[in-house]
Amino acid sequence: MLALGVGRLKSTILVVLPYRRRNETECRSHEVGHCQTASSHPIENRIGGQYSRFCFGLLCCHTPQCGVSNWDTVFPRKNWMHIPDGYLSVTVSAATGALAIGAVGLSLRQIQDRLADRVVPLTGMMSAMIFAGQMVNFPLPGVPVSGHLIGGVLAAAVLGPWAGCLAITSVLLVQWALFCDGGMLALGANVLNMAVCGAWGGFAVYTAMRRVVGTGLKGTVASAVVASWLSVMAAACLFCVEFGMSWSRADLSLGNIFALIVSYHAVIGLGEALITGAVISFVWSHRPDLLQGGDGAKTHVASEVGRFVTAGLATSIAIAAFLAPFASEHPDGLEAVAEQTGISQLATTPSALLLEDYEIPAISQMGWQRLSVSLAGIGGTAAVVLLAGSLGAVLRRPAISAADDD
Amino acid sequence: MEIIEQSEIDAGPQRPFSDSHMIEMSQLSFRYPGGRAALKDVNLKIEAGEVVGLVGPSGAGKSTLLLHLNGLLPLNLAADADSGVSIGGIPIRKDQLTAIRREVGLLFQDPDDQLFCPIVQDDVAFGPLNLNLPPGEVRQRVTDALAAVDLANYGLRQTAQLSVGERKRVCLAGVLACRPSVLALDEPFSNLDPRARRKLIAILQNFAGTQVIATHDLDLVLELCQRVIVLDDGRVRADGPTRAILSDRELMEQHGLEVPYRLASGRDG
Amino acid sequence: MISYLDRYARGATVCHRWPASLKLLLAFAVTLTSVLLPHQAWPAQGVLACFVFAGHSLAGIPFDYLLRRLLAFAPLVMMMSLALPLSQGFAAGWEVMLSILCRSGVAFLAGLWLINVMPFDQLLFTLHRFGMPKLLVAMLAFMYRYVFVLWDEYDRMQTARSARDFGGGSAALRWRIRSQLIGMLLIRAMSRAERVHGAMCARGWDGTVRVFEIPPESVTRNGNHRTI
Repeated sequence: MLALGVGRLKSTILVVLPYRRRNETECRSHEVGHCQTASSHPIENRIGGQYSRFCFGLLCCHTPQCGVSNWDTVFPRKNWMHIPDGYLSVTVSAATGALAIGAVGLSLRQIQDRLADRVVPLTGMMSAMIFAGQMVNFPLPGVPVSGHLIGGVLAAAVLGPWAGCLAITSVLLVQWALFCDGGMLALGANVLNMAVCGAWGGFAVYTAMRRVVGTGLKGTVASAVVASWLSVMAAACLFCVEFGMSWSRADLSLGNIFALIVSYHAVIGLGEALITGAVISFVWSHRPDLLQGGDGAKTHVASEVGRFVTAGLATSIAIAAFLAPFASEHPDGLEAVAEQTGISQLATTPSALLLEDYEIPAISQMGWQRLSVSLAGIGGTAAVVLLAGSLGAVLRRPAISAADDD
Repeated sequence: MEIIEQSEIDAGPQRPFSDSHMIEMSQLSFRYPGGRAALKDVNLKIEAGEVVGLVGPSGAGKSTLLLHLNGLLPLNLAADADSGVSIGGIPIRKDQLTAIRREVGLLFQDPDDQLFCPIVQDDVAFGPLNLNLPPGEVRQRVTDALAAVDLANYGLRQTAQLSVGERKRVCLAGVLACRPSVLALDEPFSNLDPRARRKLIAILQNFAGTQVIATHDLDLVLELCQRVIVLDDGRVRADGPTRAILSDRELMEQHGLEVPYRLASGRDG
Repeated sequence: MISYLDRYARGATVCHRWPASLKLLLAFAVTLTSVLLPHQAWPAQGVLACFVFAGHSLAGIPFDYLLRRLLAFAPLVMMMSLALPLSQGFAAGWEVMLSILCRSGVAFLAGLWLINVMPFDQLLFTLHRFGMPKLLVAMLAFMYRYVFVLWDEYDRMQTARSARDFGGGSAALRWRIRSQLIGMLLIRAMSRAERVHGAMCARGWDGTVRVFEIPPESVTRNGNHRTI
């Protein structure tokens, strides 16, 4: 019965096929007309070089583009890949979606109070700028891959966390709607990982660190560098958590994959940190007023709280970095809870690490496992601190706006 | 008198501008924050229906002056402060901005700065929508304005696909859809090819209200304007009939301008 | 760039003429069903895929375009899902891998169909009707407009720069130059935002978003005619 159904559908498709060919030529011919009027078509020729890029969660891997020349005209050379549909369960998608909607709604409300009638031009222009900035290739020496800007911290540093969050959300929405990049159901998770965590959390770290290090050029750039690296790590960790919650099964231990994802993003984060730092320092030297926080950056984190957050952040990262490899060999309190609640697959179990099967002595001796677990620990801590920080910033708001009035 | 006029403005769309000057500037000075003085002690009176050319070298303060007509400058106008400019007898104050902006339509130099909607008809409808007009009226105004700039079937085009001349005309349609009584145009003819320029001239000649055109295109000033104001270094240097001023070689060269070819060769009179 | 983005979205086939909300709901339903189906139900996934495929042919989306998009999409999905059994020493994880492959493939096809039968402005309008806040809609429309302007601006800067760089320079230098270009773009974008804000105020903008309630649903091929 089912087979018959499939057969029928196939014949339908065959019947429709001739139409398809005709339409194709039609599309092509009117395409040419479009290209002539649209002044911006050089994007197809100029941008992208010979590599397409794939990003996972944030970004993942960049592979050399296939050399077929026809690809150049049809396929977007610049192909980001955010979380597609199918990776997360419906429950997780719904939960992340609800969180993302809440966060975006909160940002919308906050920004209306702060920027008033400038909301649309400033935020819209910022998201357009981030979108265009993401298409700029940063070549890596010696490897056929390249990096690009992600921009959460950059947007937040200029416009503040609320507008920054909205700007990145807009970028993600448009990338979904134009490139089919990132899934429809996974949009919430993408927004949560990159826009909310990147802009809110990144901004919390950025401001807190500026309080301590200073608001001069060096302090600002250093804060932006650290904040953007942490925002990438936090997003990667959030993806791991979401993926783990979607696929918690008894026969599956996901710790190794997570360790790989997180350590990979630790490197990606370096690129993001370098780019953000360089852009911020350039803007600082030419238009320092843009970085003074038109959104009232100074009022977001009270100084003592800021110091506290930074000190806490530094301590917890240090602890995570040094203790995580040892802690992971002995189930701790959290893991015990996790086992009881049936999400023990999230826990790291070094015994089945991916690379162990291949027995690469050099890397084993270098302590690859411990390193990656370390990095996972750092990332996880960063994610938690970022979320806590942004939550704190949200909760403190009434007192701050009262202070603004004075 | 002023109070009566204000209440009339609030009451409805009738324009109480019959007896006073359309645009009046008295001792207008302006300095950009942390920058140079852009306007120094400008005094101007422009009657309703006049078409005035505003000429002068780059940086003379032409754009700054136009932005004052609409209340976009000074930036933070206090509620009770008077900027020194009045439109149709109404001094530009914070509480009068809506009324002023209804009367003065401003065309910016770069059409990309003004045309911010992806679809043409949305952009043209932006002004009427902000005037809180009923939907039917908005639709009518969009159709009329697009017809007036000769782009009647462009309503659903994407703005990014238009040529520069078409973009400029769509910008003008967006301004005309608000039915202003004053048009303030900043370099309306820059970057246009001769045909697009010719089309824009025809549209402007059909507009019945007051026009202030800031431009470097002196031939065009000769063609469109009855009166010319020469602005240099933030001050009004000359103000008078177009032909008299533009043919004054000494004055023109003193302010970085030159006598238009048609006047210099004497072909045109 | 526009032609390149909305490649087939402004066609005039049956699918393009369907009401926008129907298209959106259809794509959503297919995606949701596919993600809800367990991997054991692979025949059902196959039926779904055929369904979507039929939609593609109805919409006149050429097969080679689909194939290319799929070919580019497949490797990274394969990589991520293959990592699952790989990390378990090939002892487990196959089911999860299969599930991910089926689901993401079908969902990707459905998404591709949606973006190719629905121009961006139509999508925005539909999302607005489904309750997306006006402010966000306005921001997205604004962004969609200025992506092209900013990209042109970047492109000009890039051309001007490469006219003078003689192809030399270390990787570090190239990174710095590109960052500076992005910084320049940011500065220009923010100045432009101020100018646009002025232009909006000149036409009575007070921060309240008012939407012109003509659904751009019946936009046909080139977007300059409307069937009423």
